Amino acid sequence: MMVPVRCFTCGNVVGEHWEEFDTRAKEGEEDPQEVLDELGVERYCCRRMLVSHTDLVDVVSPYQ
Amino acid sequence: MELRVTESSENELSIEIGGEDHTFMNVLKGALLEHDDVSAATYDMNPEQSGGQTDPILTVKTIDGVDPLDALEAGAATVREKTSALREAFEAA
Amino acid sequence: MAPAYDVEFVEREERKARFLVRGVTPAFANGIRRAMVADVPTMAIDEVRFIENSSVMFDEQIALRMGLIPLTTPPEGEFVEGDTVTLAIDVEGPGTAYSGDFVSSDELVKPADLNVPIIDLKDGQRLEAEADAAMDRGKSHARHQGGVAVGYRHLQRVEVVGDRDQFEDEEPHIVRGVIEDDGELVPTSEFDHDLTVRYPGKEVRIEDVPNAFVFHVETDGSFSVEELVTRAIDSLEQRARELEDAVQL
Repeated sequence: MMVPVRCFTCGNVVGEHWEEFDTRAKEGEEDPQEVLDELGVERYCCRRMLVSHTDLVDVVSPYQ
Repeated sequence: MELRVTESSENELSIEIGGEDHTFMNVLKGALLEHDDVSAATYDMNPEQSGGQTDPILTVKTIDGVDPLDALEAGAATVREKTSALREAFEAA
Repeated sequence: MAPAYDVEFVEREERKARFLVRGVTPAFANGIRRAMVADVPTMAIDEVRFIENSSVMFDEQIALRMGLIPLTTPPEGEFVEGDTVTLAIDVEGPGTAYSGDFVSSDELVKPADLNVPIIDLKDGQRLEAEADAAMDRGKSHARHQGGVAVGYRHLQRVEVVGDRDQFEDEEPHIVRGVIEDDGELVPTSEFDHDLTVRYPGKEVRIEDVPNAFVFHVETDGSFSVEELVTRAIDSLEQRARELEDAVQL
């Protein structure tokens, strides 16, 4: 649904980087690895939180 | 911090320390073992899921002529000295 | 017999630091680490009263997200465990409700990160709520945990003992952490964690330096690294003092 606020494993706050990551790497053309490095999301536990996330709000909103 | 003596003799003391966990107990145990008049110090603690005694029980054995309660007090003082020394060193850095 | 400690920073930022402590016993180092993770109280939202929530997520799900947002922790002495601060939020769609939309009743307690999305609101959806933030310790719930990825490693001393055999294969020699080379502290990331990059063609010996630990500390934004470490030390000291007083009676 929405991005997790924190990394499940280490507790680092990752939610705040989602929108930039989404526009630059998922919808944009940039290399996700470089974007994550620039955002300061270092550990692989935190990186997978952003890489593997999909926003579902738009998908479920018609079924309110 | 609630203390309850479970066993006591001239050179040995078992005391339950309420509300503490490994964080403090292991530091305290380490500090006690640095003292020469303490011949043995250990603590026993059960996980929360065990359902029984979950507060740590500290056991201190001392050499002849030393009251284990005094040794415990000295051990706590050592921990205090360590923390203030570390804070000073950290703030200086 | 006050022990001689020596602290040296290897890396230092507001929310992330690495520092070397010499002279600590493993028991004491672990006590500090555990205190940073579980015993330093921080503020976090722990009760939410919803006035209106017509978003796609349930009240409970949104309350959980609000709880995980890091809040700034007031200076020591201003609050004690159990005190609360109220934060209000009122956002109407279309748009996203962010942590920065919270209005706090106390200047000292406000979201540490302003850009965390709470919920995406569609046309006509609205989120209005009042949330109470309370001071508690990491032991009771992860949302009160101020330290993130707190750990330590031995400082490793590297010594060149000679040249590598002429016909020996060059294999990577991976080390992670911080090494000491002739008194100089070098983070292994400088040479890609591979000793053969730093000492090509040499045979090296590495050993743990006794009682020297390199701490890696990160915070979630509730306070600075310095604050977290000193508060952890304070929490240990306070317990030692309590025990001392209790035994004296």
